[in-house]
Amino acid sequence: MDLKRLETARLFHRFGFGPRPGEFTQALSDGIAKTKSKVLSQPLIDAGEVPAPPITDLGPRPAPNSAGVVAFSQSLRFENQQLVLWWLDQMVKSERQMQEKMVWFWHGHWATSIGKVNYALPMYNQNKTFRKYALGNFSDFAQAMFSDGALQIWLDGGDNNVKAPNENLSREMMELFVLGVNRYTETDVKELARAFTGYQVTRSAGVVTYNEKRRDTKAVTVLGKTGVLSPEQAIAHLVSQADCGKFIAERIWFRFISSAAALPENHSMVSAFNKREMSQLISTLVNGADLANPNYSIVKQPLEWFVGVCRALSLTPSKLDSYPKLYGYLSKMSQIPFEPPNVGGWPTDESWLSSASAQFRVAFATWLVGQADLSSISAIAPLQRPTYLLDLLGVVEWTPRTSFALRDVRDSEVKLLILAICSPEYVVSV
Amino acid sequence: MNEKPVFSHEQLGMKTVTRRQFLKYSGVSAAAATSILSVDEIASAAVTRPLPLGTPILVVVTLYGGNDGLNTVIPYQDPAYYTARPGLTYKPETLLPLSDGMALNASMTGFKSLWDSQKVAIIRGVGYPKPDRSHFSSMAIWQTGSPQNHLNTGWLGRWLDSQPIDPMTAISLGSVLPPLLAGTKQSGSALPLGGLSIPNGQIGKACVRLSAKSQNDNPLMAAAATSMRNLFNLSGSITPVLAQPAPFADDLPTVAGGNAGGDSNLSQQLNLVAKLIAAGSPTKIWSVSLGGFDTHANEANAQATLLGTVSSSIAKFLSQMNASGRSKDITVMVYSEFGRRVKGNGSDGTDHGTAGSMFLIGDRVQGGMYGDQPSLTKLIDGDLAVTTDFRDVYSSVIDSVLLTPAEKILNNWSGRVKAFKPV
Repeated sequence: MDLKRLETARLFHRFGFGPRPGEFTQALSDGIAKTKSKVLSQPLIDAGEVPAPPITDLGPRPAPNSAGVVAFSQSLRFENQQLVLWWLDQMVKSERQMQEKMVWFWHGHWATSIGKVNYALPMYNQNKTFRKYALGNFSDFAQAMFSDGALQIWLDGGDNNVKAPNENLSREMMELFVLGVNRYTETDVKELARAFTGYQVTRSAGVVTYNEKRRDTKAVTVLGKTGVLSPEQAIAHLVSQADCGKFIAERIWFRFISSAAALPENHSMVSAFNKREMSQLISTLVNGADLANPNYSIVKQPLEWFVGVCRALSLTPSKLDSYPKLYGYLSKMSQIPFEPPNVGGWPTDESWLSSASAQFRVAFATWLVGQADLSSISAIAPLQRPTYLLDLLGVVEWTPRTSFALRDVRDSEVKLLILAICSPEYVVSV
Repeated sequence: MNEKPVFSHEQLGMKTVTRRQFLKYSGVSAAAATSILSVDEIASAAVTRPLPLGTPILVVVTLYGGNDGLNTVIPYQDPAYYTARPGLTYKPETLLPLSDGMALNASMTGFKSLWDSQKVAIIRGVGYPKPDRSHFSSMAIWQTGSPQNHLNTGWLGRWLDSQPIDPMTAISLGSVLPPLLAGTKQSGSALPLGGLSIPNGQIGKACVRLSAKSQNDNPLMAAAATSMRNLFNLSGSITPVLAQPAPFADDLPTVAGGNAGGDSNLSQQLNLVAKLIAAGSPTKIWSVSLGGFDTHANEANAQATLLGTVSSSIAKFLSQMNASGRSKDITVMVYSEFGRRVKGNGSDGTDHGTAGSMFLIGDRVQGGMYGDQPSLTKLIDGDLAVTTDFRDVYSSVIDSVLLTPAEKILNNWSGRVKAFKPV
């Protein structure tokens, strides 16, 4: 295997959503070092930034059968649709691909679903928080997330009060967000829940407010620290644990390098993260040797596959015909942004490779390729097209199996592309 | 890339098979470095020979989110139940009394009539040592069948590993495969609710080529190719079946010639399973699921609705099986990753707990109560004590339904729940 192509392909597909036409060939000529530095140096102003979606506070849902309920439901549906399209367009068009990929990562990390939140506004605000801290300080990030309305709604934060603590948020804060499973005791979960009491959240706007009457003012003991802890103090204590550094490094490893292999002991990401700066952790990973290790392949999540195809074929999600169809395909592939299946986030690897998803992928690919301008492929002689597609899509190499399949359809640009983007070589980030 | 590759063995093999044969019989084999044709023969046998009548069939129903066992099988004569969770209890007169001071949630009328015909075994206090209250860890423990060590295979996936390679043996409804069906040699297949339709024409032919094995594949690429290969194998045999109407349940009320009843996602899944079983699909394990049991708030109504769905969908499914001649073959197993805290949490909901009830339902089941009901007053850290290890239930299912010694699958586990009729 050509290790230069391998590393270049991984830089595009894992630390971004895949190359746009011409980018992969350019990167090969730039060399690995320059490509890595391009990945890590984000432009200050994103020329591809998509304007903010028209999202407002829709207020409480009108009573059933009342006059305003139909208009309300239509507005809710419209805003949710605009939110999804805004983010998809942003993923495709952004010049700050590393940043976009991190926003997508954090969405799977603090996995919150609009299925329970209902309103677009809190979800949009959460997404803006992901953008603000995507490559920033994790300690500040975790503090900001405690005050995140969508997360508070999602994990019943408003139900957590002195009379009857609700452990949902405190448990996930330790298990899924900051420390990792089994790095705390059941007592820690209960005590942390008490430190988190006293907050309520407005449903439609997701504004978090403090209500002293609901606050448990007694001392708690969380991971060995005893005192009357504010949520800020409690979260700062969690983030300062050595396990936090290990956990975030594990999660980054799990999504960017390998979901199958464990994070190697004493990986340099962990020490690079000692000040909890995400940018240092990520640059250590990008500049390290793991990207050149052929063992670490990973299955692209369906959304990553879709956005990658849009980038390669210069398609814009909001301009596809039509949103209900796009939503239907994403739904059949079991991945719709803002709708993770549960607080643990999206599945990985083989979970995405069922016979059902193989079928839907071919149908989805057919629908997408049918809307693309394929004139650049038409300009290439059929014999050369499979080779041309390697760089267009950022694929390392075709196996003889896939070459054989592509050869048979190389006279048809449409069929050739459908096959290429459904091939194991493209479905998997090799 | 070489424009004129040397033909690999797999490609030469493919050339000897016509497209039609390939679409019909394209098989799957994890370890075989043999020719395509011998793989075809294996797949052909699976597709053309229906499951013999009398072969036991397991239907696994997973309730995601942690079903509150105490409000499912309710210790309604115990005063401690009412004092522990005000706002969450049901009025005793609305419940469906069973035996041993227990009653079913009022919404579970379907289960109650099955209980009355001695087809329901209720195993109480089921869990495992050192309960884990994380949804993900606990569901992983239940699905891998391994509380102590993390395994990459599911308990039914390991059983699949002991079976001939055949993507039809275990099928999960929905497009993401649950870990319980993941094996080392082979995994279960996934089937979406809409059924499968294979690409045809030149694209179809090219997809068949694309799904061939390649020596250059890494394990994930091989899995991607296999998933497409299974699509051709599954759809060739299943798609015609899906065009058939669902089997009729003659003991349920009818509306416009069809059975009335809930149209929940679970009932859709089971409807499809009923069609496929009736058609003779050579499938011994079916996996279906329902989510939404994570009732941290306003539990009583939400859970009753969900349990009503579980109960009515399964009752309807078993009725549908009466007409197929296979009703005696079917065992339904219902479980969730944990029960919930005994004490309510003040949001009229409950937080994550430990032990819960399992159900085994079917003609082969010896109806009745199994396992000790955990005490509501002698709690462990606010939670119910575990009185039965879930591996006791799994082992009994592997022995009695899958007809395989369970020791090999569950690391020499020796406990059993004698909930099946002697054969």
